[in-house]
Amino acid sequence: MELDAPRIAGWIEPLAKRPGELAEVFVESRREAVLELEDGQVTGLRAARISGISARWAHAGAESLAFVSRADEAGARDCVRALQVSLGRAPLPSRAGSPPPPETPAESSDLERWSRRLTAVLARHAPRHRLRWTLVESARQVIPSKGAAASFSRRLLSLEGTFRAASRRGDETRAFAFHAPDSDATADELRNAFAHAVEPRDAPVPCGDGAMDILLAQGCAAVLFHEILAHPLEAGEASLLSTLEQARVAIPELDVRDDPTRLELFGGYERDDEGVKPRAVKLLDGGLLAGRLLGQGHAPPGGSTGHARRAAPSDSPLPRSSNVMVAAGHATADEMARRLGNGLWIGDLRGGSVELSSGRFRLRFPRARRIRRGRLADECGAGVLSGEILSTLKAIEPGLGREVRPYRALGWCSRAGQVVPVQGAAPDILIRGMSVRSSA
Amino acid sequence: MSGAVLRQELERRAPQEWELYRKRAESRQTSFSGGPPRTVSRSEEGWAARWWESGLPRFAAGSTDSDLRFAIRDAARAASAPEPPPEWPSSKSPPVEDPSPAEAPPELYDALSRLVAAESRGDAVLAELSVSSGARTERVVNGRGADVSVRAFSLEGFARATGRKEARVCDARVLFRWEGPPELDALARRLSDRATLPLSERASPLAHGEWLLDPSVGAALLAALAPLFTASALPTWVQRGQLFSKQVTVVDDAAADGAFDGEGTPTRRVVLVDEGALRARLYDLRSARASGTSSTGHGVRTSYRTPPAAGPRRLFFETSRGASARDLLSAVKRGLFASALTSPVRMNFEGDRFEVEFTGISIVAGRAQGPVAGARARGRISQLLRRISAVSTDRQFFASPYPAGSPTLLIERAEFD
Repeated sequence: MELDAPRIAGWIEPLAKRPGELAEVFVESRREAVLELEDGQVTGLRAARISGISARWAHAGAESLAFVSRADEAGARDCVRALQVSLGRAPLPSRAGSPPPPETPAESSDLERWSRRLTAVLARHAPRHRLRWTLVESARQVIPSKGAAASFSRRLLSLEGTFRAASRRGDETRAFAFHAPDSDATADELRNAFAHAVEPRDAPVPCGDGAMDILLAQGCAAVLFHEILAHPLEAGEASLLSTLEQARVAIPELDVRDDPTRLELFGGYERDDEGVKPRAVKLLDGGLLAGRLLGQGHAPPGGSTGHARRAAPSDSPLPRSSNVMVAAGHATADEMARRLGNGLWIGDLRGGSVELSSGRFRLRFPRARRIRRGRLADECGAGVLSGEILSTLKAIEPGLGREVRPYRALGWCSRAGQVVPVQGAAPDILIRGMSVRSSA
Repeated sequence: MSGAVLRQELERRAPQEWELYRKRAESRQTSFSGGPPRTVSRSEEGWAARWWESGLPRFAAGSTDSDLRFAIRDAARAASAPEPPPEWPSSKSPPVEDPSPAEAPPELYDALSRLVAAESRGDAVLAELSVSSGARTERVVNGRGADVSVRAFSLEGFARATGRKEARVCDARVLFRWEGPPELDALARRLSDRATLPLSERASPLAHGEWLLDPSVGAALLAALAPLFTASALPTWVQRGQLFSKQVTVVDDAAADGAFDGEGTPTRRVVLVDEGALRARLYDLRSARASGTSSTGHGVRTSYRTPPAAGPRRLFFETSRGASARDLLSAVKRGLFASALTSPVRMNFEGDRFEVEFTGISIVAGRAQGPVAGARARGRISQLLRRISAVSTDRQFFASPYPAGSPTLLIERAEFD
């Protein structure tokens, strides 16, 4: 439901009279559908309609935000009034509540359609499972005090959980995660991802502890660059990369961008949560540190890169990463394995963290394959990769894989308690001498 | 609750087999990070409904009563597996008034800043403090006549400190929730330890020994074990009669937090582990129905958007027969004191494995020897629980997100790397 933007802009316009002052109203209506799937049955089903409005004022680092959990004109008036009171301004006169919103047009039932699809796919590939399917459809509107309002929407689909799969020593529990925007191709892509995840494997042995050469494959290097480049280059965060602009930190063939305009990926969007049209930002340009991810609060007027994002209307926007894209090299997967020689092949990273001030990071992998003399060998169990940002960037070998793959297991990122959708795509990357520890 | 239309709708769809929930919350949050303050005021409402329509369970949530009405129609469009409806409670309580707009939280940045600097002898500085204060009311009604309301207040947030020594830097972020006046001394100590101990870059000098756990680490360990207290099927390694050592009694008792759980069942004290033996399990309405028993009053709503589920509400180690923390320290011949976690506790219940990464201090003959930047304890969960050799009396509660309480714990024969 879109609100009367000129009318609401008129309410907040007096709050942004001074140069550099920003005032805006942010509206979100969100429709969620969730299916809990257990061993071929839908054991839980839920639907939600969540709405909210916030009014925000910011100037020179100070910020005030007021939120109410409804998305109509009365709600907008209430939160503008609360914002005015918090700023010591005279509030708008209060009005009686607006009539209830009209019923949104009936839609084809996503719940029913996906329930049928998923039970068929799971019955075929992994009859024993515990998975959660989620479809989130969000519509957002940003009404600034000056300039045009912006409206945008997204439909995001996730399937996450565990299933029992065959291994040579009997069945084992495996984790699965898939996140993608909902499109015509999503069902096929999900089916393929699941078919790949259930392939039989050998029983794992511990991956061992110590420094090892690592080949990050299947696009999972996107998680590494999300942690060690995108996070430290989010404006407003003091990190050791903040002072190294234009410094050479990696091989000349390494180009990494953060690109919200890639709408086929989970982290894409047409407008950021301040209403700014986003653009791709080069984080690493030929091995040199390049740009930063900016919102309006951290950029000169007109300088936002369109990376201001909020988890919900009740949160202030923060400069955040979206889709981390690593440019392709020229090597085939076999060449990469040969060049690795002996080490670990990792095609799946589930979660990571980075400590921005020290630059230390860690990435968890649920399994790996040992490579011996350039050939895939033992199946290995879970472990943790850790290191320091600059030394890890320097340890990336020239010669990147030629095929860039989206990494669909990366879907959500949390910072300061705000969780936003993210994703990325990367070719195979070879890193020498990373610290590895096996884990529970 | 102006949900008469919703009640009619639910009664029409599922006569007597429904539940309607409403939450109202008001909060004010102030954040400082050295510059001007950032403030957020939130006025939140949330509605949720559960109903068994023709024997099929469904759940819907909305920000307003109109949103919920539409969500109920969305949820009715698909079918789930049939399941018998729960034994709904029929409790009643006096209504409570919706919260009024929240007051600004207390200004604590300067005071905490001074305490962190003093506690760390200047090695750490407070980088950010965010404090939120507020109140919320919740009301649950159902098709069997239950109508209960609860009210709660909160003062919570997070603090971030940065430790520096020569070129080494370490960030620490600590969550807090205070049930009374702000406990700044304890918060400053936790921040200081977490931000400065890793700066020593000294690895664990021991491969095995005794392991003394600070209450914050003990509480995180207990919270990580909580799935054992709600599981319908326990892992094969669990021996009910001897899950923990004899010194350990674990209780869940949220009577001080609210007279009812998120489903309107009266709160009661449950002794989960009694002198080492697993005696009870926490049930919500659905899990109780599936097990042919009654709810223990542990239907927990982490948000109005998700259905209630069985979970702890205030989980803690009983300490009535504990020793003093000083006695526990004196008892350590060679071991490590875990002062703060450096990574979340990891539990692999299926594989009977745990992993705890922490920073702390090495101890020999009951005396501190020096900081340990980072160490990892790992092994079998089954052995860890039976090796808790002493429990202290200095219990503290920590947000996890429910309150989890632990005193200092002593664990024998731990393995470190």
